[in-house]
Amino acid sequence: MPRRRPGLCRFAGLVAVLSIVLPLQVLFASSASAAGYVPISGSGSTWSQNALDQWRRNVNNNYGMTVNYSGNGSTSGRNDFRAGQVDFAISEIPYGLSDGGVLDPLPPRAFGYMPIVAGGTSIMYNLKIGNRRVTNLRLSGDTITKIFTQQITNWSDPAIKADNPGLTLPARKIVPVVRSDGSGATAQFTAWMASQFGGQWDAYCHRAGRNVTPCGFTSFYPTTSDMVSKAQSQGVAGFVAQDSSEGAITYVEYSYARNAGFPVAKVLNKANYYVEPTAGSVAVALLQARLHQDLTQDLSQVYINSDPRTYPLSSYSYMIIPKDTTNNFNTEKGRTLSEFNYYFLCEGQQQADSLGYSPLPINLVQAGIDQTNQIPGATHKLDRNNLTGCHNPTVSPNGGNLVAQTAPQPQPCDAKGPTQCATGTAGARASTPTSNTGGAANGGGAAAGGGGAAGGSGGSGGGNTQGSSPGDTGSGSLAAGSDPSGGAGTTIDPATGEVINGASSTSGSGSSGVSAVPVSVDVADNRRQMVLGSLAAVLLIGLVLGPPLVARKMRGREGAQP
Amino acid sequence: MTTVVMAPVPGPDSPAEPARKVRSVAGGADRVFHLSLRGAGLTVLIIMGTIGLFLFYRGAQALADDGPKFLYVQAWEPSSHNFGIATVIVGTLLIAMVAVIFAVPLATGVALYISEYAPRKLRRGLINLVDLMAAVPSVVFGLWGFYFLSEKVIPLAKFLSSHFGWVPFLGIRDADPNNPLEDLTIYKSSTFIAGIVVALMIMPIICSVMRESFTQAPIGEREGAYALGATRWGMIRAVVLPFGRGGMIGGTMLGLGRAMGETIAVYMIISPTFKIQPEILRSGANSVSSLIALKFGAASPFELSALMAAGLALFALTLVVNFGASAVIARTRSGQMT
Repeated sequence: MPRRRPGLCRFAGLVAVLSIVLPLQVLFASSASAAGYVPISGSGSTWSQNALDQWRRNVNNNYGMTVNYSGNGSTSGRNDFRAGQVDFAISEIPYGLSDGGVLDPLPPRAFGYMPIVAGGTSIMYNLKIGNRRVTNLRLSGDTITKIFTQQITNWSDPAIKADNPGLTLPARKIVPVVRSDGSGATAQFTAWMASQFGGQWDAYCHRAGRNVTPCGFTSFYPTTSDMVSKAQSQGVAGFVAQDSSEGAITYVEYSYARNAGFPVAKVLNKANYYVEPTAGSVAVALLQARLHQDLTQDLSQVYINSDPRTYPLSSYSYMIIPKDTTNNFNTEKGRTLSEFNYYFLCEGQQQADSLGYSPLPINLVQAGIDQTNQIPGATHKLDRNNLTGCHNPTVSPNGGNLVAQTAPQPQPCDAKGPTQCATGTAGARASTPTSNTGGAANGGGAAAGGGGAAGGSGGSGGGNTQGSSPGDTGSGSLAAGSDPSGGAGTTIDPATGEVINGASSTSGSGSSGVSAVPVSVDVADNRRQMVLGSLAAVLLIGLVLGPPLVARKMRGREGAQP
Repeated sequence: MTTVVMAPVPGPDSPAEPARKVRSVAGGADRVFHLSLRGAGLTVLIIMGTIGLFLFYRGAQALADDGPKFLYVQAWEPSSHNFGIATVIVGTLLIAMVAVIFAVPLATGVALYISEYAPRKLRRGLINLVDLMAAVPSVVFGLWGFYFLSEKVIPLAKFLSSHFGWVPFLGIRDADPNNPLEDLTIYKSSTFIAGIVVALMIMPIICSVMRESFTQAPIGEREGAYALGATRWGMIRAVVLPFGRGGMIGGTMLGLGRAMGETIAVYMIISPTFKIQPEILRSGANSVSSLIALKFGAASPFELSALMAAGLALFALTLVVNFGASAVIARTRSGQMT
């Protein structure tokens, strides 16, 4: 059947064009070394596309290999591979699963799965307190599920406060941003929710009009009207990263948040630590991943991995490789594909960390080599038992996963409890001042200062003179000093009705930043607006109609005079 | 003094003598040329017919399964046999309407300036520039709309919704413009923004159709208007605009047809929703073509059939609009000359 290539669904179409045009020059320049490589093409996941694109660039520059890839979502990638339109596909989930009651059929060609890289599905968000970006948000799995199932709709919700004792979050609406296309990220994320919070997920699924029980994982997020849905990882990440998207939150691979310069939420694991999806924490988590015979993953133990360094939403991304020469696939292409695979299984993994992913452990590299060797035309360049030249960063002398072994333990302030680390995450490394002080939330004296929250809430009232300068050093103490009843311990802010703890704000005068807590105050007077609006309208009409009328009248008078 | 006397516009030259019969002796070359032209014309018809048949053939399975529900169901869940085109058709029409509302005044102005006011040297350049605008790929418009315009439009959308919320389509029910912590994403990814971007894409087409018909306004009538003391604007109002009305309507309808089919820019800007969204300033929109672009790659065979059926509906709608356009053009003076 004639099917258009869905390559047009590509956000960075320009990049694709460039990646074809630019390497052409290289290809001609190094045509001697490029002898024998034929262009191969693939499509699928945008989750792992940042890594794949880097590898494609590398093999192009170094070996003159042309690997075309269009990131159109895992589901499209699997469809393309099944229809024989591409030489390989990248997908987070395998064939043969039932999504919303519909079975994803197996392709008619012989194929195999092979993990290409690990990574964390991160929770990227855009949130500010006052004018300062929040970079240290922590969320438990339960809270994340409630946010993405529309049970928590405001950032000031007590559940979020419970996760973030050091932050006073604004009363802003939460805008969940989900993928609109068939996506492996959605599949991984919903699989996690279905596994860990099945009841909530099923209830939401039914509310969103999908009548399957249990709802299970899905590649197509069921949406309600208060959500925003965008196509592709770049779409959701780009949307959240826009200035006007304050309050938005999405699930996307860690690298996208890093590239966008945005923070990700630290997610609570079974050991009660909030952990960021760094290369190390993903590697640790995936030590508990069970692999089936065909290398596909069972993540149920990863979600509940009790190592305190675990990032629970970790997973592998897979390449689906052909094992026969049907559908225009031939040994020439097989040779190129196998060389590409050997490259990224070893050398390529070195860049995984810097790209925002986590390198494959050595056992999966070996499994990947076994799979690659079954591609028709494979060069069998690597020996699975002798990986000395492999340069994979996970190789350790004692045979374990070096990245996991050297992963740092979480800081004490990342433990569930009243303290909260101030350090930033992912692409936003600036720290966010917190109001926790080593135990008591309002005890004064610590460097982070209890004055932050209190001084800020004074500012939000609008009545205090220094209220308009959040972040001003020592404004907390000013607020207390200028307030006549400041010494009385607790006072009530006249505008907001919030309690100001005078004592703590005095003692917190040394804090480096004051986080203002904006609250919604109904200041607009609709009647006045109406009067002014109609006045403006009358003026406008007068301005437009007045001059011609006056001119005509004057002209008429002139004409009458002579 | 400067009032223009609206002289009744003389009708087309009435033939004084009966038309002579044209007798042509067709040579071999003529005949071949004639035949090849006829073949070309027929080919277009056949291609159009085949596309329609193909869509119907591929969509028949979904149509048979869905029955009349196809026309009024808002959801799009073909895998659970609950789908219809109500949302997407309404969304398509809304986006096209916004586009036309923005594009037509702009195109009229540009066309009038080029054909009536611009100095001869500038004219060539302007025509090229407008044509160039038509050549910009829609993905570029989409990127621009998503990364740039959707943020810049927020103040306008907010202003419109809070001050003109009583105008149908412009209100947003649960917007909260007085809240300093207002959720601004409610103004993004909307029909309005998609419509503005599509307006820029259809403007060149409308503009060139209009310009063609404006330049054809008979020189005699123009000079007549001047002779009666008309200013240039008076002449345009009395001669050019009435003469070019066919071109204006026709260009608008052609633009409307294109706006309804616009895919990738809309796909990148909107946040697809499956409830009819009459609040055009509010986040959430949809259109048939963007639905197809979104779902096509990941569709199962039955979903594909449903998408084809949606495509058929759009095909029929576009056909109706374009036939309407040509009928309108044909009935006007400038249309009869072309």
